[in-house]
Amino acid sequence: MSLAQPPGRFRETAQRALADDHVERALDDATARLYGNRLEAWAGLEDAQALRERGREIRVRTVAALDSHLEAFQRALEARGGRVHRCADAAAARAKITEICTAAGAKLVAKSKSMATEEIGLNEALHGAGMEVVETDLGEWILQLSGEHPVHIVAPAIEKTAADVAELFSKLEGREVSTELSELTGVARRRMRKVFETADVGITGANFAVAETGSICLVENEGNARLVTSLPRVHVVLLGMERVVPTLADLSVLLRLLARSATGQKLSSYTTLITGPRRPGEQDGPEELHVIVLDNGRSNLRGTRYEEMLSCIRCGACLNVCPVYRKTGGSAYGPVYSGPMGAVLVPLLVGLEQAPALPHASSLCGACTDACPVKIPLHELLLDLRSDLVEGGIASRGERLGFTLWSYAWSSPLGYRLSTALARLGLPLAALGGPGRVWAKGRAFPRLSRRYRDRR
Amino acid sequence: MATVQLFATCLGDLAFPDAVADAEALLREAGFEVEFPGAQVCCGQPAFNAGHRAAARRVGRTFARAFSRTAPVVMPSGSCTAMVAHRLPELLGVEPWEVYELSAFLAAAGFEPRRLNEGRTVAYHDSCHMLRDLRISDEPRRLLEVSGATIAPLPRQDLCCGFGGTFSVRQPELSLAMADDKLAGAAGAEALVTADPGCITHLRGRSERTGGPRVVHLATVLARGLG
Repeated sequence: MSLAQPPGRFRETAQRALADDHVERALDDATARLYGNRLEAWAGLEDAQALRERGREIRVRTVAALDSHLEAFQRALEARGGRVHRCADAAAARAKITEICTAAGAKLVAKSKSMATEEIGLNEALHGAGMEVVETDLGEWILQLSGEHPVHIVAPAIEKTAADVAELFSKLEGREVSTELSELTGVARRRMRKVFETADVGITGANFAVAETGSICLVENEGNARLVTSLPRVHVVLLGMERVVPTLADLSVLLRLLARSATGQKLSSYTTLITGPRRPGEQDGPEELHVIVLDNGRSNLRGTRYEEMLSCIRCGACLNVCPVYRKTGGSAYGPVYSGPMGAVLVPLLVGLEQAPALPHASSLCGACTDACPVKIPLHELLLDLRSDLVEGGIASRGERLGFTLWSYAWSSPLGYRLSTALARLGLPLAALGGPGRVWAKGRAFPRLSRRYRDRR
Repeated sequence: MATVQLFATCLGDLAFPDAVADAEALLREAGFEVEFPGAQVCCGQPAFNAGHRAAARRVGRTFARAFSRTAPVVMPSGSCTAMVAHRLPELLGVEPWEVYELSAFLAAAGFEPRRLNEGRTVAYHDSCHMLRDLRISDEPRRLLEVSGATIAPLPRQDLCCGFGGTFSVRQPELSLAMADDKLAGAAGAEALVTADPGCITHLRGRSERTGGPRVVHLATVLARGLG
């Protein structure tokens, strides 16, 4: 799957969402609920700002010495019988996972929610190798059934209402399924149980990897990840290379931040630490545990102004507070990462020229930066990316010329006087073309009377 | 008598001269001598926020040439205050100025506006730069209340109005949808009051087309009521 987002795609997709009242309402309700939950959870903390600062410090320090932490993680995991595979890009990661699944003789693969697997387009690759893949996270499964992509990194099916899901499940079951949540989850549970029992390989992402113990940490509310990681014979983890933390003590800080920021919980219903495959004498767990460490553009950020973006713990708080995401939904940003974190991360992973509209998919209101539990200055990074668009010659020639001419005209009081006198005469003409025409479609121009400096 | 320098801001000078006159009147009422440096133009924010830093620098230098560091600079705009306070010194490599957004300055000076808005209900919109960059949200509300107004809270006061500089023309559909939400939230009030010329240009322009509420600069409401 390509993360690239060609110019024009954002606006086009956003317009479709804006025209859909149903999606608008679903997004509005869901983001407002998550926003409210988060504020409440944070209000219950004694010193929220100090915790955020600790979280930031842990992430920045870890990312700065990523190589040594990854090596420590690998040593610890291998000492407990797990295997680590480093993959430079999506193709390498797909190939490695397909190879592991093929070697395991897999016919059925059970997955729990993982944006990294979306990033590398894993499902398509496994299908191509003749395997059946089933998403076991309820939201992801709903989207798999409807043939859509996740539109939120934490709540993948956030744009769907209970009624939408009931309709989908009714078709699947060939009977009327009501919108009762217990009935909806009942359908999923019955169908999922068989998948857990018969899957040959379980694939998960990883919220964190702990270097000192070689553990993988998974955070979830449905319990599906526990089954995916304990019943199949082989467990494959796709780990974004930046998601390592040095110690269990560090992990505890980040877990407190993650659940509060994502859903407003103190801790998610299930927080699982997996340290190696099943050992002799143990009742359950996989025979093999493989961890794929994925780069796929992440190294581009290291040592740059944008390294802080690697601090992201994928809580989704920036999506839930974003006034733009709230209106566009996730698909406008592309098929995987959305909202402010997506607008920053995607251009950095794939190159600015591949996603030139994303740094501008924001009103720079700064709500994302305020919400980020590890204090990533998201809107500042968007500003810097905009500057890179200009410096790199990716911004359109017309835009660059416009700002340059304007800046020369306004570089002196005389130039300002002359150019604004002209503008006053020409304002009615502005509605005929360019940005003026866009503005005038839906908004009145301000009336320009006498300048304050002239009447004072 | 203490002196302040007034920065009209480009939008204020060109599009909202009445609001700038109101700002100046309030500063005088509060007992300040007001200087208006004639060489002022613009702080460069439109270019800076669009990523055009060389252009922003070129325009921002006019600010550096026009304003001295001997008296505080006051401006009736949250976003320009944020630009001058937090961006311009680094962008130009110069010493910072002592800059204030108008309502924060008046509140800090202990100014009490006249009770021109007795019995009036208004909504107040926080501009994003004021709310999150300058952390000014109580002061304008307090001044409005002292002037006699009752403040009707907007739903989701944290949400941006959708202006966002070039965002307003790059994503016009989104920008308008955000404005419509903001205006709808203020429908029960006599006016939607805000302290940022950018938000006003956008919200008033939209409201004029849709028959929404009046959108008025805070300085005007404090100096003259709703007129």
